[in-house]
Amino acid sequence: MTAVGLLERQWTERPGLLGWLTTTDHKRIGLLYFWTTLVLFGAGGTEALLMRTQLAQPNSHVVGPEAYDQLFSLHGITMIFFFIIPMTTGAFGNYLIPLMIGARDMAFPRMNALSFWIFLGSGIFLYASLALGSAPDAGWFDYVPLASRQFSPGRNIDFYCLALIFNGVSSTLAASNFIVTILKLRAPGMSLNRTPLFCFAFLAASFGLLFALPALTADAVFLYLDRRVGTHFFDVAHGGSALLWQHLFWIFGHPEVYILIVPAFGIATSIIPAFTQHRVVAFPLVAIAELLVVFIGFGVWAHHMFATGLPTVTLIFFAAASALVVIPSTIQVFAWCLTILSGTARFRTPLLFIVGFILFFVVGGLTGIMFVAIPFDQQMTDTYFVIAHFHYIIFGAAVFPIFGGMYYWFPKLTGRMYFELPGQISFWIIFAGTNLLFFPMHVVGLDGMPRRVYTYPGGLGWGTYNLIETVGGYITLAGILLLFGNLVVSYVRGERVGRDPWHGPTLEWTIPSPPPEYNFAVIPHVTSAYPNWEPLAGDLVLDEGHQQPITTAADGELAEIAQMPHESPWPVLLGLGLALVFALLVVEKFLVAGIALGLCALVLAAWHR
Amino acid sequence: MLGGAWIGLLLVALLLAFAWIRRNRRGPSEAASTRIVVALGVALPIAVIATLFFVSDVFIIRTTQAPAATATRLTIRVIGHQWWWEVRYPGTTAVTANEIHIPVRTRVLLQATTADVIHSFWVPELNRKIDTIPGRVNEIELDADGPGVYRGACAEYCGVQHAHMALAVYAQPRAAFRRWLALQERPAKAVRSAGAALFLDGTCSECHAVRGTSASGTEGPDLTHLASRHTIAALTLANTVHDLAAWITRNQQIKPGNRMIDVRLPAPKLRALVAYLRSLR
Amino acid sequence: MSAKPVAWWGMMMLVAAEATLFGTLIGTYFYLRFSTPHWPPGGIAKPGAVVPIVLALVLVASVFPLRLGTRAGIALALLMQAGYFAYAVHDFADRLHSFTPQTNAYGSIYYVLLGADHAHVAVGLLFDVWLLANWRTIGLRVITVYWIAVAVLTLAVTGTILSARA
Repeated sequence: MTAVGLLERQWTERPGLLGWLTTTDHKRIGLLYFWTTLVLFGAGGTEALLMRTQLAQPNSHVVGPEAYDQLFSLHGITMIFFFIIPMTTGAFGNYLIPLMIGARDMAFPRMNALSFWIFLGSGIFLYASLALGSAPDAGWFDYVPLASRQFSPGRNIDFYCLALIFNGVSSTLAASNFIVTILKLRAPGMSLNRTPLFCFAFLAASFGLLFALPALTADAVFLYLDRRVGTHFFDVAHGGSALLWQHLFWIFGHPEVYILIVPAFGIATSIIPAFTQHRVVAFPLVAIAELLVVFIGFGVWAHHMFATGLPTVTLIFFAAASALVVIPSTIQVFAWCLTILSGTARFRTPLLFIVGFILFFVVGGLTGIMFVAIPFDQQMTDTYFVIAHFHYIIFGAAVFPIFGGMYYWFPKLTGRMYFELPGQISFWIIFAGTNLLFFPMHVVGLDGMPRRVYTYPGGLGWGTYNLIETVGGYITLAGILLLFGNLVVSYVRGERVGRDPWHGPTLEWTIPSPPPEYNFAVIPHVTSAYPNWEPLAGDLVLDEGHQQPITTAADGELAEIAQMPHESPWPVLLGLGLALVFALLVVEKFLVAGIALGLCALVLAAWHR
Repeated sequence: MLGGAWIGLLLVALLLAFAWIRRNRRGPSEAASTRIVVALGVALPIAVIATLFFVSDVFIIRTTQAPAATATRLTIRVIGHQWWWEVRYPGTTAVTANEIHIPVRTRVLLQATTADVIHSFWVPELNRKIDTIPGRVNEIELDADGPGVYRGACAEYCGVQHAHMALAVYAQPRAAFRRWLALQERPAKAVRSAGAALFLDGTCSECHAVRGTSASGTEGPDLTHLASRHTIAALTLANTVHDLAAWITRNQQIKPGNRMIDVRLPAPKLRALVAYLRSLR
Repeated sequence: MSAKPVAWWGMMMLVAAEATLFGTLIGTYFYLRFSTPHWPPGGIAKPGAVVPIVLALVLVASVFPLRLGTRAGIALALLMQAGYFAYAVHDFADRLHSFTPQTNAYGSIYYVLLGADHAHVAVGLLFDVWLLANWRTIGLRVITVYWIAVAVLTLAVTGTILSARA
C-alpha cells in the first residue's frame, strides 16, 4: 500500500454521527466549534436587535425592564464567552494552527474534544436559564451587592456563576492545548522566528486565558458560596467587600478583552501578507507586540473602577499602565499599514475586512486612549460613549477579521471559491451598518445617556440618535445575512479550487483543499517564516501508526516521534458528566453533585488507562 | 482630545489611501519600514499619551478628586436606594428626595453612599460620577458657577428601574437657598383632613415619613415637603395632581418592579389623599 | 537534560493554572485582611502554628519517596500523603466548632483557601492510586511534578493562614 493509503487508513475516523461524537480530529472539532458558535452568535445578535428595537424611541414598550435586563446581560455573556473566544480559539485556532505549523493534530487531541463538549454543555446550560425565564440579569459583569442573594433571590445569578465556571474549564483546557501544541509540535526547522504570527497571537491569547481565568473562577465560586452556602466574601456587614468582586472580575476581565482581540490580530497578520504578497514589515516587533499587549493587559484592571472612589495614587498608576498598552498596539497598526503599502495589494474581500478592521481599531483605540484621562473616564464610564468604544474594538476589530478570515480560508476548508462580488457588497453593507450603529453612541454618551437603561425619556434629544443606531443595526444584520448566504451558496456552487488559490505564505496552502485527515503526507522541513513562498522539502512520512513529530520549543529540532490517540468516547462522556454536575449544583443538590463528580473522576481514570 | 482623535484617524486613513493609490508600486525597504514603525508606533504614542496624561491626570484631576476637608462650605449627604435618592443636609434636620439644592458659587462637599446596592451619583454638568459603595462614603465637590437646574442620573446599573433613577440639582442664589433649607427643616403643619387620616392610618406611613406627624417610615422617600419638589418618582413624573394620582394607583405600570405597591382607592378618597400630599409644601 | 515529553508540558499547564488560582485566593485573603481592623475578626482565635507547620513539612517530605522511581516509593508517598490528608481533614472538621465559613469573611476565606489545598491533595491521592494501577514512567514523572507543586502551594497556604498571628 502507498504511504498515502497507509496514512488514510491510520487517520480516517469512523463514519456517521458516532464518528463526530468520538472525534479527536482537530479539523472536525474546529468545525463543531464553528457551527455551535454561529448559533450562539445568532442568539447574541438577536438579543442586540431586540434591545435596539426597544431603544429606537423614548418610553417604548417593546420589551419590559425585566426582559431587557436579561437581554443585555445575555448579550454580553454570549458574545464574549460563547462567540468570540470559541470562534477564534475553538474554530479558527483548532482548525488552522496544526496546519500552519506542519502538524497532524493538536498536542492533546482527546482533551481538545473535551474542550468542545464542555463548551457545548456550558452554552446549553446558560441558555437553559433563558428557557426557564431565569437568565442572568445583572449584566455581564454582575456587580455585587446587586448580584447577591438579597437583591437577586432567583436562580438567575446562580446560572451566571456556574455557567462561567463551566465555560472556563473549556477555555483553560483549550489554552493549555494551544500552548503545548505551538511550542512542541511545530514541524522540524520551524524555529520560533519562523513561526507564523498567527501562532504568536494565539500563544499570547492562550497564556492570557490560562492566567486570567482563575480570577474569574474564584470570583464566581465566592459569589455562588455567598449566595447558596452563606459565606461572606462580599458581605460588608460581616467583613467582606463589595469592591473585591470588582477587583477579581476585572483582573480577569481586562486581559479577557485583549484575549478577544489578539487572535483577530493574528488573522489580520495572516491575510495581509497573502493579499499583498509581501512579508510582514518588522516581523519580530509585531511578534513581541502581540505578546506584550496581553502581558501589559494584566496590569491595568482598575481602570474599569475609576469611579469607585479608589485613592488618587492608585488611579494614576492604572492610568499610566493603561497608557503603556497603546505602544504595542500602534506598532502593529503601523506595521500592517506599511505592509499593505509595501506590497502589491489586491483588495479582495478578505483584505477589505482587514482594512475595515484597521479603521475600526484606530477609532476604538483613540477613544480608548481618551479614557487614560481619569477625569474624562469618570464622566464617560457607564455611558453610551464607552459602549461605542468597546463595540468599535470588539465588533470592528475582533469580528471584522473573523468575517475576513471566513472568506480567506473558505477555499481551504471547502475546496471551492466564494463569489467575490457579493463578498465585497457584504463588506460594504456591514461596514456602513456598523458605523451607523455605533458612531452615534459616542454623541449620545457625551450627551449624558447612561448604559443599561431599558428606556429613556423624551425631550433630552437622545431619540434621533437612538433611532439611527437601530437602523444601523438592521443594516448590519442585512450585511451579515448576505455574507452567510454567499458562503452557503458558494459551498454548493462555487468554482472548485486547488491547494493554493491565494499563493498564501503559510503551510496550510501546501496541502489539498479540503485537507486530508492526516494533513501532511510528508512532514515538511521548514526553512523560512513564509514556507509556501520558498521551495519546500521534507522527508518524514511517519505512516507506521498515528504518528506526529515532537520538536524542541525554541529551535524546532526533532526530539521524538509520538503516537497520537485515536477516536475516543471518553471526552463526550466526561462532558456529559460535568454538565450533570453543574445542573445538580444549580438546583443545590450538593451531595448528588459530589457523586456525579466522583463518576467523572472514574471516567477520567478510564480515559487514561 | 476629540480633535486629536480625528487627526489620528486621518493619519491612518491617509496611510491606507496611500496604499491603495500606490498599490502597484514598490514600497520602502525593510529597514526603512522598521524605522517608520518604530517612529510612529513607539515615539508618536509616547509623545501624545504623555501630554494627555500630564494635562488630565496631574492637573485636571485635582478638581475631580475629593476636596480637602477644610475647602468646602456646605456638606450634603446623598444615599442611593433602589430606585430613588435620599438627600440629607448634615447639621440640619432637612431631608428630601431626588432633588438637591445648593447655593451658587459655593464649594459643596457631596458625600455619597448607598442603602442597598452600588449606584452612581452623576450630574455631568457639575462633576464626574461617583459610585455609592456599601460600607463606604465617597466624596466629590459640587460648585455651580451660575443658577440653574442640572439634571443627573444614576450611572451604575442597580436593578430593574435603574433607567428611572434621575435627580436634579438646583443651584440658587445664596439667600434663596437659605430660605429653601429653612423650609425643608420645618416639620409639617398639623392638618386634620380626610386625606391626612388616610395617609397616617393607612399603609402610606409604613414606608414614608412626614416629620411632625406619626408617619416615620424609612423604606421610601421623606414626604414632609413633597409639594415643594418639582417632580416625583426620581424625575419620572411631574408633581401635579394628575401625576400624583397616577403614581399612587398604578406606579407598577409606570415604573414596573419599584418597591411601592399600587394603592387602589375610590375616587373621592384618592382626591382627598392627593390634596393632603399637595398641602405638604 | 533531553526535551521534556508533551505530557510533562501538559502538567506544567495545569500547575500554572492552579498556582494562579491559589495566587488569587491568597490575594483575596490579604485584601480582606487589610480591609479589616482586627484580624481574625469576631473574636476568632489566632491559628496555632505547630500543627500546620508539621503537616506542611510532612507533605514536602512525601515528595522524596516519589523520586525513587519505584512502586514502593509511590506506596510510601501515598501513605505519608494519606496520613497528612486524614489529619488535615480531621483538623478542618474540628475547627468548625470554633467558627464556620458562615461566621464572617475570615471564616469564609479560611475554609475556602484551606479547603482548596486539601482538595488538591485529595486529587493527588487519586493520582497516586491510579499510578499504582497503571504503572508507567511518564506517569510517575508527571505526578511528581504535581506533588512538588502541591507541596509548594501548601507551604504558601500555610504561610498565609499563619500570617494572622502577626
